[in-house]
Amino acid sequence: MEIADNRRAASGLARSQGSSSPAEKREREERRRALFLVTPGIAWMTLFMVLPLLMVVYVSFWTQTTFTVEPTLTIESWQRFLSSSTYISATWTTVRIWAIVLVSTLLIGYPVALFIGLFVRNQTLQTALLVICVIPFWTSFLIRVIAWRPMLGTEGAINMILINLGIIDTPLTTLLFSEFAVLVGMTQIYCVFMVGPITFMLSRIDPSIIEAARDLGAGFWRIFFKIILPLSLPGVVVGAIFVSVMVLGEFATAASLSGRKVNLLGNIIVSQVGSLKWAFASVAGVILTIIIAIVITVMLRVVNLRKEM
Amino acid sequence: MESRVLKPVLAVYCAAFILFLYGPMIVLAILSFQGAGGGPQFPIIEWSTYWYQHLLGLTPPGRITQLPIGDSLLRSLTLAFMTTVVSTVLGVMTAQGFRTRFKGSGVVFYLVILGMIVPGVLVGLGMALFSNMAGVARAWWGTAFVLHVVYTFPFAFLIMLAIFNRFDRSVEEASLSLGVSPAQTFRRVTFPMIFPGVLSAMLFSFTLSYDEFSRTLFTSGRDLTLPLTIYGTFSVEIYPNIFAFGVLTTLFSFTLLAIYALLMLRAVRKGQAFKGQEAEA
Repeated sequence: MEIADNRRAASGLARSQGSSSPAEKREREERRRALFLVTPGIAWMTLFMVLPLLMVVYVSFWTQTTFTVEPTLTIESWQRFLSSSTYISATWTTVRIWAIVLVSTLLIGYPVALFIGLFVRNQTLQTALLVICVIPFWTSFLIRVIAWRPMLGTEGAINMILINLGIIDTPLTTLLFSEFAVLVGMTQIYCVFMVGPITFMLSRIDPSIIEAARDLGAGFWRIFFKIILPLSLPGVVVGAIFVSVMVLGEFATAASLSGRKVNLLGNIIVSQVGSLKWAFASVAGVILTIIIAIVITVMLRVVNLRKEM
Repeated sequence: MESRVLKPVLAVYCAAFILFLYGPMIVLAILSFQGAGGGPQFPIIEWSTYWYQHLLGLTPPGRITQLPIGDSLLRSLTLAFMTTVVSTVLGVMTAQGFRTRFKGSGVVFYLVILGMIVPGVLVGLGMALFSNMAGVARAWWGTAFVLHVVYTFPFAFLIMLAIFNRFDRSVEEASLSLGVSPAQTFRRVTFPMIFPGVLSAMLFSFTLSYDEFSRTLFTSGRDLTLPLTIYGTFSVEIYPNIFAFGVLTTLFSFTLLAIYALLMLRAVRKGQAFKGQEAEA
């Protein structure tokens, strides 16, 4: 088999060197042009993304001195990271926050996607609703994070409303500068990344399938679990990947809304870089990369995206 | 039957969701009109544009220092412009290359897409380490700029790929077979057809870069960009001047969006006019 392939390739090569047909010549030229066109992009990504990422792995094995790192290989930073309760708990906090935000964006976002994608059958209205959901992204991310402070603060809007409604007497102080604030902020900011892909999958469902099921006597919940949910699963997975990648790499929301009570791996990296502990920051970076890789791999196992899309 | 109940329930839920999305920004916008002595919360002691004037340095100097946005705004705009140009060019080139099947295109595709997936802190950290080792000084127009392109180039690439996917190749071939050079063909035939995509790619690149800060944090050196200036206020007490800034920057983004919509509309109209001619002929 292989030999045959080689021979064919060899004969192709011979032909291309000798007298080749115009079509073949053109094809070869096109391929060369294509490679020429993609080379700058490949070079940019290799030089400015792949090399820096490899650098993180490499430096995590360097020797950390007080203010600098030296390229003497050691596993000291790894040992210190893995034996420190602060870093280990930051890792667990990251995983916990990620899991809660993932579930909450799914639970809050799915009904919205269900409404826009399946119940609104007017295309213009559908697009308009999606655009309304996306518009907040034209505000600065940091401003959207900060906007939660006057909402959740002790004298914030939510406390004010609750007191005026007579639901509570004294303002709740645990709303802001707590894990709750971080969860609410992240859910609001990342929910749309869940709504978008699910809506897209739901709007592609052929209404006649649902009609057929209804004619055959299936109730809504049965239709939902047997038809709608399975067909929307690729959208859920894509949304989950978006949300996961963004939440796992987060640090700004926790820095602004938790009052330093929530320390994610991202916050650890930022603070370690701030005190020039490059090797520890790199260890945290590698661990973060491993977590993200595991999460994406597991999610892609659940649904074969290539087959479904 | 059940869907008759379900639809209104979901509609109300959807409205509540939109309120959840917009609520904080609305509250922030209201509080940006707080009076001079008021804090970043209710009640509004007096409606005024004091904090907008404070932001622009029009108020007499007081206890609260002005946000240092002047220089950083200029830097951010320049950076976003540079990023837009480079990532759009790279995006168009790479997507154009992808129209021909070549070996390893799958790997190249994932390599490019990785740029939008990798968390900013990670590449930022890597780039800082890299520049430390290479002895290159970190600067917003250097180390931060290349990372911004790493982030926005995948978006430009995906948009252009989608455009090229539903692209009528025969028009290009007609031009080529009539003896027009490939470069001329691209300029006169291909480019006008892909223009809406290029515009979208530019809009995405500009807004993403203008707002990007996790990639800039470790790589911008001493001079701060606009998002970094905002990030700097996270650790200290906030005042309504940052709310005023939030409103202004949002208005700026909406202006960009409006310009984009206008240009897009014109491009579509032009395309329709062209099609009309074709039918008449």
